[in-house]
Amino acid sequence: MAKDSVLDVFEQFREEIDDGNDRRERLIKASRDVTNISKKSIFLLHRLVLEDSSDDQALAARAASSGRQKLSEANTIFKNMREELIGDRFWRYQRQVSPGVQEYIEALSFAHYVEHHSLISYQQVQNALSDSDGLFFPLAVSDYLLGLSDLTGELMRFAISNISRRGGRLKASEVCAFVRECKSDFERFTPHIRDLSKKQYVTANSLEKIEAAAYAIAVRGSEYDLPPEKWDDLVAQVTTRFDLNDRREHEDGYNGNV
Amino acid sequence: MDPRDLESLNSLLEQDVGVSENIKEQVKEFDKRIRTIVGILGKIHSTPSHSMPELLDSVDPVLHSCSEITLAIADVIPPDQFWRWKDMWSNSMRSAVYAAALIQYLRNGTLLSLPRASEILGINGEWKDRFSLPVEDYLHGLISMVNELSRYVINAVTLGQFEEPVRISNFVKEIFSGFTMLNLKNDSLRRRFDSLKYDLKKIEEVVYDVSLRKLVPANPPVQ
Repeated sequence: MAKDSVLDVFEQFREEIDDGNDRRERLIKASRDVTNISKKSIFLLHRLVLEDSSDDQALAARAASSGRQKLSEANTIFKNMREELIGDRFWRYQRQVSPGVQEYIEALSFAHYVEHHSLISYQQVQNALSDSDGLFFPLAVSDYLLGLSDLTGELMRFAISNISRRGGRLKASEVCAFVRECKSDFERFTPHIRDLSKKQYVTANSLEKIEAAAYAIAVRGSEYDLPPEKWDDLVAQVTTRFDLNDRREHEDGYNGNV
Repeated sequence: MDPRDLESLNSLLEQDVGVSENIKEQVKEFDKRIRTIVGILGKIHSTPSHSMPELLDSVDPVLHSCSEITLAIADVIPPDQFWRWKDMWSNSMRSAVYAAALIQYLRNGTLLSLPRASEILGINGEWKDRFSLPVEDYLHGLISMVNELSRYVINAVTLGQFEEPVRISNFVKEIFSGFTMLNLKNDSLRRRFDSLKYDLKKIEEVVYDVSLRKLVPANPPVQ
């Protein structure tokens, strides 16, 4: 390399490196925005499913569609990411994008569950991440599974906050069966996907909480012939205890057990 | 989950396992060759300049054989997935660049360019979504070379090659000023670049020692 061209060459490197860093920053920011929107959509769903309604099915459909509508803001962001993630760039920046994508899948699958009581498929998620011009970017299997794995935590909250409502116990046992199935389905994927076993552990915890709540109600319900309002008190008491457990685990930080 | 979906996810993941195992196999072989090369290059510290070409020539066949590896890896990488897998071999790649750059300097006193480095390692420009030499890895290789030169400078003087320190000093300064033009983020490349100044200082001290004792012909001051 000729002497004075060394600096020219490094100038090109600078441009290339700056370009990559800038793009990375933009994607991190976009991913954060998507996470934010997704979280809001999840909260919205939690609120809406608790509204009073005589028709559960209609309520669920309404909640799901509002959740999805909120999520469509994320789609606009994804659409803008298309150019940034074209070709080999997707895997280059996958780590920056994936937190947002996973949160989005969590929200989308939650809306899907509320409405259909089933798991959203890989293909359905990929379809949501596309428009008439094709995919925004490919969906990584790991993001799909890790996003779904977070869904179980939301379902636990969903089941427990619903348990004191009319028909809530039935719903809780449905959710319980569903989460159990998810957990066993995901088990075979754990060797392939980093972090999935950690999330499986969290899923196991959520599952135990729903099971414990269902158990408490079944046992006490058989002992006493309680009027409905007493039922609600009892259930409320049990669910606060779960919150305490929750906090203790967070303080322990799960270390060691993972 | 629907059993069919379960199956298709599983087969997607199995494909990835296949790719990763293939690469692992190649990287193992890559590392073996790199170790051979680095082993031979270790001898530069005790090789007088007249035997240097012979020593460097003996590395060439092994270095060129690395193109078999890059070809084999590029073959198993699915389209557009270069960045997904590159961490598996980037250490080996950096060492390969290091070796190639060191050889070029010792042979011609010049800096190995990135395109030339890719060429030596048999990387085809048409593979770029499956296999390429990223700037960062190339730069890591250059830093390793400077690290090595800061040691070589001492041993060259010991062997009586008193003009070597000034030559190396000029060369390394040029690379250093190139690096100062980059906006590096806080990563390993940045940390390694920060350590370059110690190499520079070490080389300067050798230059000082030999010029103080008039071991180098009293040339005009170093540019």
